Amino acid sequence: MPDFNPTQYAVPLFVIAVLAEMIWARLRAPEAYEPKDTLVSLSFGLGSTIAGALLGGFALTLMFLAYDYRVFDFGPEWWAVWWAWPLCFGLDDFAYYWSHRAGHRIRWMWAAHVNHHSSQHYNLSTALRQTWTGNLTIGILFTLPVVVLGFHPAMIVICGGFNLIYQFWIHTEAIDRMPRWFEAVMNTPSHHRVHHATNPRYLDRNYAGVFIVWDRLFGTFEPESRDEPIRYGIVKQLGSFNLLWAVFHEWIGMIADIWRAPWRHKLGYLLREPGWSHDGSRETSDMIREAWRARQPPRQNPVSTENPIAGGTEPA
Amino acid sequence: MELPPLLLQTAGSLVAILALAGFARWMKLGGTPLLTDDDGVRRAAGEVEGGFMPVSIARDARGLAALARDAQGRIMVIKRHGNRFAGRILDERARAMLNKELGETLLVVMPGQTLFGAIHLDIDAPRAWAEAINRVNGRQDA
Repeated sequence: MPDFNPTQYAVPLFVIAVLAEMIWARLRAPEAYEPKDTLVSLSFGLGSTIAGALLGGFALTLMFLAYDYRVFDFGPEWWAVWWAWPLCFGLDDFAYYWSHRAGHRIRWMWAAHVNHHSSQHYNLSTALRQTWTGNLTIGILFTLPVVVLGFHPAMIVICGGFNLIYQFWIHTEAIDRMPRWFEAVMNTPSHHRVHHATNPRYLDRNYAGVFIVWDRLFGTFEPESRDEPIRYGIVKQLGSFNLLWAVFHEWIGMIADIWRAPWRHKLGYLLREPGWSHDGSRETSDMIREAWRARQPPRQNPVSTENPIAGGTEPA
Repeated sequence: MELPPLLLQTAGSLVAILALAGFARWMKLGGTPLLTDDDGVRRAAGEVEGGFMPVSIARDARGLAALARDAQGRIMVIKRHGNRFAGRILDERARAMLNKELGETLLVVMPGQTLFGAIHLDIDAPRAWAEAINRVNGRQDA
């Protein structure tokens, strides 16, 4: 069995790329970086590696247990079946799409994933802002079907590593758009900027890891508009650079909500979407989007938004 | 003595992290945006809470923070956070007090939300704003 973790080998490349982007920022967009924010994001990356080493064993054990019930068997030398690798990569990316979508729509999973979004910046250091608590969620359940199909856990972990490496470079404002054919199939900086935006029209869109086709297929795709600047972060910005608060704030909020809620609503605060409340006192991303849509002036004719005299619309 | 690989990797990563953050600082990345006009406050308020339309604004003389009140009487505090802005609509947890600092009477707003911090504002009519904020939480003192 190959013992290979592609992410470890990519770390020096990550460092060089962040350095290069900082030089780009110095020349073109100094506001793209904020040293304290960078420090927090990179510390997330380090903590995530340690947390993965400490807690990742549980997920791996589950995968090996599921592997015993595999439907197809690639044989003892499964790593030599060349075509299994791209197939595994595609299926793992499909599983990633659903896991990521659940990460935004189930508060339990959002508690772990919010870390990746809580920076108000979008640069390569944001890519390394990885969760410490992902292994405390049900995210692994989305990968188990791939294991049961017959793909060895090690093959899936390696494919997942390459998936993560791919996602690194798309966390940048330095690249505008890729060629059209590439934008049509692959996740790109443009598509992923939308995913990190807090503008109402962009909330909970573009969950893809590598292939944007999943969003196009399942109705969650939203293209980046050139008409308005993107705002990054989360709906309720942290307003703090405290690393531990950034790691645990949503867990603390969720547990407090569960504690205070009436018994019949407790599970709702665990499994419903972020922003859901049993008394309707808060807003989910769907409610925020609907409220924003309701505030938009009705379109009289196709030129109204391009005519400054006709009045503008509120930026999303 | 042989160090465990994870420890070695952690130490190396820590050095790289500090070096990168130091490099960003040395290159003077970030900048210091200011709330220099009411339009800037309106824009920031709309980003904090979609549809929040200030009818009354108090901008900190240094441009570091602002207060905004909408037609419903909600009061929002906005502060600079790094080189962006972050804000909160004040609720019953909020407190405000006046504080003399370097001869100026500053309004200190404590939103009462974990780690958001106290915001110091050099504004006109700080007492009136303090009373309005304290009315939100039922206090009358400023």
